[in-house]
This record gives sequence, C-alpha cells and structure tokens, in this order.
Amino acid sequence: MAAAGALSVKEAASAAERAGGPPSRDEVARRLAAVVGEAHVLTDPAALLVYEADGLTHGRTAPDLVVLPGSTEEVVGVVRVAREAGVPLVPRGAGTGLSGGARPVPGCAVVSLARMRRILELDLENGWARVEPGVINLDVTRAVAGAGWYYAPDPSSQGVCSIGGNVAENSGGAHCLKYGFTTNHVLAAKVVLSDGGVVDLGGPAADAPGYDLLAALVGAEGLVGIVTEVTLRLLRKPEVTRTFFATFPSTDEAGAAVSAIIAAGILPAAIEMMDRLAIEAAKAATGLDWPDVGAALLMDADGPRAEVEHVSERAIALAREVGALEIRVPRDEAERQLMWKGRKSAFAAVGRISPSYLVEDGVIPRSEIARVLREIGRLAAGAGLRVANVFHAGDGNLHPLVLYDARNPGEEERAATLGGEILRICIRAGGSITGEHGVGAEKAAYMAEQFGPDDLETMQRVRCAFDGAGIMNPGKVFPTPRLCGEKPGPYRPHPAERAGVAERW
Amino acid sequence: MTAALREAGPPDAVLGLSPRVAVEPATVPEAAEALRALAADRLAVVFVGGGTDLELGPAPARLDAVVHTRRLARIREHAPADQIVAVEAGITLAELQRALAPHGQRLALDPPHPERTTAGGAVAANAFGPRRTRYGSVRDLVIGVTMVRADGVVARGGGKVVKNVAGFDLPRLLCGSLGSLGLVAEVVFRLHPLPEESGTARIPGLAAFDVRRLARAVLDARLEPVALAALPDAERFALAVRFEGFRPGVAEGLERLHALAAREGARSERLGAGDEAALWARHDALRGGGDVRARATFPPAAVAAAIEALRPLEGALGGGGTVIHPALGIAFLAGRLGSATEAARAVEAARAALATIDGPGRAGLRGTLVLTAAPPALRALADPWGEPPAALELMRRLKRELDPDGRLAPGRLAGGI
Repeated sequence: MAAAGALSVKEAASAAERAGGPPSRDEVARRLAAVVGEAHVLTDPAALLVYEADGLTHGRTAPDLVVLPGSTEEVVGVVRVAREAGVPLVPRGAGTGLSGGARPVPGCAVVSLARMRRILELDLENGWARVEPGVINLDVTRAVAGAGWYYAPDPSSQGVCSIGGNVAENSGGAHCLKYGFTTNHVLAAKVVLSDGGVVDLGGPAADAPGYDLLAALVGAEGLVGIVTEVTLRLLRKPEVTRTFFATFPSTDEAGAAVSAIIAAGILPAAIEMMDRLAIEAAKAATGLDWPDVGAALLMDADGPRAEVEHVSERAIALAREVGALEIRVPRDEAERQLMWKGRKSAFAAVGRISPSYLVEDGVIPRSEIARVLREIGRLAAGAGLRVANVFHAGDGNLHPLVLYDARNPGEEERAATLGGEILRICIRAGGSITGEHGVGAEKAAYMAEQFGPDDLETMQRVRCAFDGAGIMNPGKVFPTPRLCGEKPGPYRPHPAERAGVAERW
Repeated sequence: MTAALREAGPPDAVLGLSPRVAVEPATVPEAAEALRALAADRLAVVFVGGGTDLELGPAPARLDAVVHTRRLARIREHAPADQIVAVEAGITLAELQRALAPHGQRLALDPPHPERTTAGGAVAANAFGPRRTRYGSVRDLVIGVTMVRADGVVARGGGKVVKNVAGFDLPRLLCGSLGSLGLVAEVVFRLHPLPEESGTARIPGLAAFDVRRLARAVLDARLEPVALAALPDAERFALAVRFEGFRPGVAEGLERLHALAAREGARSERLGAGDEAALWARHDALRGGGDVRARATFPPAAVAAAIEALRPLEGALGGGGTVIHPALGIAFLAGRLGSATEAARAVEAARAALATIDGPGRAGLRGTLVLTAAPPALRALADPWGEPPAALELMRRLKRELDPDGRLAPGRLAGGI
C-alpha cells in the first residue's frame, strides 16, 4: 500500500490550523483545478444542478463543487486536497442510483468518475475484463459479446449505469437469482483511500492471501474509498435460453407457481412477477397485447440445451398445475426481447398511469410473496393509494411502486409513509430493506430497524479501517455515523459534523 | 447459562502450542460470555471447529485459550421453500447435509472431510471442493453470519434472504479470516436442490498443456460441468468432468463430452456410480495426503506454466501428487516431507515462478502458493502464506478495529496479522 505521502488526521488538522481555518470553496476549487485541470472542476450553480440528486430525485442538495478526475493519480490528488481542506467527498458514477447514494451533503465535493471510462484490458483466455469505474455496465458485455461472452450482473439500468456505481451498490438485476450479484463477479479492484493511499484488493487469481477486503468494498456504497479500476469476471453466454410468459388470476397463483418451480429443483435464470397494475402500465407503454389479468410471470431458463428444454417444460407444466390462465412461448428472439422489454419498461411505464410514484426495494423470503402482497394491498387500500408490483419473484425482491399525485394535499406524505410500512413488513418477514438499490441516504433510518446497535457499530468499525477521517460519502448507510478513533483532546469540528451529517454526542 | 473454563489438555493444542484453558460454549450467549471473560483477562484465543484446517497459517504468536465450537452445533432454522439454512458454527457439513437431504436440498459446498469440517470452520478457512467450479466457494454461499467479537459483543451481518445489500458485508468479510476478527458463531447459507442425477467422465493420458486445452474446450462448448479436475494419471493427468442436474441434461453433457474429446484427439470414459465416488474420493485423498500440503492459485490460462512451477516442489516431497482445477486456476499439491531445506527452496522457487506467471496480453498476473499444512521443520524455513498481501496495512487497520488488543488468533493470518 502506498502509505508514503498519506496524511494523518493530525497532520490534516494542523494544516487547516496553519491556514487559519478551513479554506474557502474558491480556494478548494483552485487546488483541485491544479490536480485535474480547470475544465474539470465545476462551480457554476447551473452546472451543479444536475449533481444535486441521483436517480432518487427528492432531497436535492447542492454540492459545493464537482470534480472530474481522469486517472488514479488525479483521484489521489483530489482526495488529498479534500482531506487537507476537510471537505467531504461524494463519489458518483452515472447517477442512476435509486437510494440517494450519490446525493451530496452540504459543503461536499462530488467526485464524478464519468471521465474514467476506458476498458483497460479484455482477457478472454482467463475470462477477465479490467475496466475504469465510469465504464457503462452494458458496454462491458458489448465489448465481448462478439466472442460469445458477457458480464452477468444486469440491473435494469444497465444501459446507462456505471461499473463503479455497480461496485458501490453491489448491483443485481433480474438474472442474479442464478448468477449472483456484483460481489460474485468482482475479482480485483484498485481503490483510493481517504488518506490518499492506493490499494490493490483481490486477485484476479483466486483466493489472494489476507482478508477478503473486496467483500468489504463491494456494496459499501462509496463509504470506504473511490474505486479507480475493477477487474470483472466474464461468463460465456449460455448455449440456450428458453423464456415463457404465464398469466394468472391473481398474485396468489403466480406466487404458488414460483414456489412450485423452485420446489421442483429448478433454478431459473430469472423469474419475474407483475401484478395487474404493472401489466396495465407495461401495456400502455409498449403496446404489447398482454391480457388484462391479475398477475403474470416471465421466466428465463438458460444453460445447455437438453437441461434447459427439460427445465422449461417442467416449469410450464407446474405453472399450469397451479392455475395459469395462459402460457406464451416466444416464437423467436425478437419476440422474447419484446416480452423482456415489457417487463423492464414496467417501472417507467407506471408514469403513464400515475403522475408520480415511489419505487421501493425490499426483500422477503420467497415463500411469503403471496401473503406479503396481500398485506401490501390492504395497507394501500387503507391509505387510499394504489401500489403496482413488478419484481424479482425468484429471490423475493419486491419492487412496490407507490402511486400518488403530489397535487393532492398530503398524498405524497401518505405515499412515503406507506413506503416505510412496506419496508417494515419486509423486516418483520425476516427479509431486508434493500435487495439491490442500496441503503444510501434514503433508508439509513431503517437500518436501525433491520439491524441492532451492535451490528451497526461493528460495520462502522469496518468503515473506520478504510476511512478513519470519515470524509467518504458521509451520511449514507448508517443512521448515526460514528466518528473513528476518537482521542481525548481539544474539540475540533469533524468534516462530517460540519456537513451536518454526524454529531459527536 | 455459563460455559465454564476448564484446564486445557493435549487435545486442545494448536500447531504444537498448548493453551492454558479451554471452553466449550453450547449457545451464542455462552460464547459471548466466554469471550468477555477471556477479554477481561486479556487472553489470546484461537477458535477451533473440526480442526481440519488448523494447519492453515502459522502457529499463533500467543495462545492462552481455545474456544471449541463442537457443542454449538444445532440447526437453528431450515426453510426449504426459501432454500436457506441457519446453523450454529460447530455443526459438521456431513451432519448438515444429512438433515437437508430428505428435503431434496444440499449445501453446494464439498471440501474434504465433511464429517469433521464444521460450518463455522468452513467460513473461517474459506473451504471449498470441486463443485466450486459451478457454485463458487463458501463466500458465494454464505448469506448471513452472527459473530462474537473479541470484546464479547454479538453482531450480525447479512440476513436470511439471498438477495440483500443492506449494510456492510460482514459474512463475506469473515470468509478466510481464520477467526482473527471474531468467532463465527452462526452461519446462514443459501441452499441448492439435490440433483436428480450425477455423472462423471474421465479423460486420461493428458499432458499439462492438454489439461488446459480440454478444459477450455469443455467450457467453450458451454457444457457447464459442476466440477472439472485433473488428477495424476501415471506420469500424466486424467481430467475428470462431472455433470449434475436433471437426467436429460446429464446424459447430454456426457454424450457431448465424449464427442468433444474425440475431436480433440482424446477419449472420455463414463464412470459407473462406484467408480465415480472412488474418483472423487481419490481427489480428496490426494489433496489431503502427506504432511505437506500446498494450494497454488494462478490465471486459469496458465495451467501448464503453473504445473511446471510446481514440479520442483512435487519432486522434493515423497508420494502424493498434484490435482488441478483448471477452470478455477487452482492446484493442490501434497506429499511427505523429506529434506526441509530442499522443500523450502522448492516453495520459494514455485512462488517466484507463480508470481511472474503471465497470461496472454498482460504481464505480471500474479499467482500465489500457500502452504496449507507443513511440519515445524518446513514452517521454520518457509512462511506458510508467502509474500505479505499488497493491502497489508489496511488489513492491519481492520484487525485493530475489531480486535484492538490483537488477542484473536494472533499471527495466524498473512503478513503476521
């Protein structure tokens, strides 16, 4: 690890003292410009506007400035400047996150990795790709698809989201039921720590000696450092994919079908559920001729031909046994893509049937799907709101979309309350408050409901090992941030305190 | 409930070091209480499950107490419909599999000695077997953990659902930590269905170069075996290819493998059920044979170079042999120690060669060699882990955060942690 030149907390504090207090924003901008070039530091309020939020558009907060480093060395320079000036850093990929993970905090600098978008190396002998964090998820697959390979994690935003953001959020997607999440596909990473040190974690060869720090990095939502290179595992495209679309009278039967398929020993590549409202929305957006039914499933099986055909037939038979109304098998790849387009567009499509909506992301044990959906329906009716459900049924990852109209007084608040109640249902069912969107700024408060104080304090210790200064993406994940390695002595405001995201007592 | 400390005896020794006391908690609260008591006395502690991987890593720098998990061995929850199981650390994998099988399920983790390997030990030692080719290692199967920290605080990470990104990933972070960050007290695993059918074919008479070529052809043909391992076959290798799944899939896999081998100028033989079991038992026996055992990792494309790098070490040891997992880029080498000096030299030579192994298109892809077992004579001359990890300083900081007094398995991890 490149400890040379790293700045301790004490040194940082004394540097600030010598300068007579924290430097002004203009001074910080000037120092950052010396690192990345003037063109890559944004301070103009109009230019900052787009950085006030990520995919979660409420709770907008203006950053002090935005800096766009172009290399690992420049990221190191940026971190040193920020550390010395006591400026919190908010790393940002493509800004598509849905939990406010890239939401600025007051007085922060947003570090956009958008300029670091080179694919550094494709090694199909070993099945590895080394990329910069700003590379778009789907571009990795595009770069190797011609040779029959792909990158497995496929969040719905894969056409626009970045690998760096995927690493931060441990992104999943429809096909992680079989193939796992980002954490199962990251082999190595280069990370800039808050002390300006650069560390190489992982392999890419298997089982590097020492702690599995990649496990701590992936899914840490930018709290442990800034990733500047990632080595990804690539997979060969499965030989065959078989898809079917099945409709059901209600989510009860669709849930029973999912359970029956899993109980038969089948591991689908993906199995997605939509309820009546979601189907209606998808139809409105895509013009698909889906029937007006209570629920639908879309399932992929993939792998070697004989296994897949067998599994696909079994799954269809099971769906019929539990009451499927209709089974549609796409005639060709184009029709298959259209079915998936209907599923993937369902989120945005809800905008066609409601002026506004909240996207929730919670996980429940798969066997609880039907019961929990009924409970959500009851709660929604009680709140006078509609909820559309379109989700990854195979792993119980719900995405309830709470529909509301902000023009009606009090409706937005009722929607937010309902969203929170849904998360509590997930926790009570033994599940999780997030399956793939992350905790971010949005759900930090709910962490204290899913985890106990000792659990959170232990996780904070892990964070402290990486970022003792607490300048990396403060205010995210943890409901009450802990300051690391406190020693008795005169009081000095901590960067996180100045940013208003942590308090000392 | 209290688990009393007892005076330790010879069976409690860890790599030749005898602790003064031992404790065998039967519940997580008892384990927490025991760790608080050990913390109060500032005792150095090692956690012991089935003891199958106790030889991994150097002897502890200090050892006052041993905490056994053997009484902490219950299945806390098995939810067949959700394909998860929550177990206490001390349950053996064999016992767990026996409980899961009637439900048509298994933990897709197959390290050697399942009758002794415990769930907690498998996590702590990052254990795996041939099925890692399809299912990954323990890190890909663990979804939740309850740990007891050095200070006796009980903390949970992950949960009981497979898909879960809430909070830092403590379960995976503990994989391979050898008990140096805390006691792995309970583990939640994701489960897989028991396959309807299993079939293994053997492709004998392969040179090192052919092992890679055949393995690559199998993967390129997208046959998706669950295990792929090359075992010694006279002076050459035999590649074992295992398929599991539904009957039509396994049958097709074996047929297509046969045709593929023929195209590549080799011959595949399907094994009967008895021979199949014997082959995989031989794999485990080779991996676990002798008193010196090593694990090499390398870029999968560099199989032939890795085998070359390991030859001097194989030559320096008596008996045993090398098994290779070509899809993973992992080899296991085992044998009996003759001259410790010669073996230590061969270890250094293998490390140097693996460290500079090159994949096509890029120099400096590093491979490693870890001694997973060695007699004291060899340990005295060769660090079991080899060169310290690149992120050693960060690893030390993590250790200090969770075990500030350095009392848990001190010195057992890479880089002297």
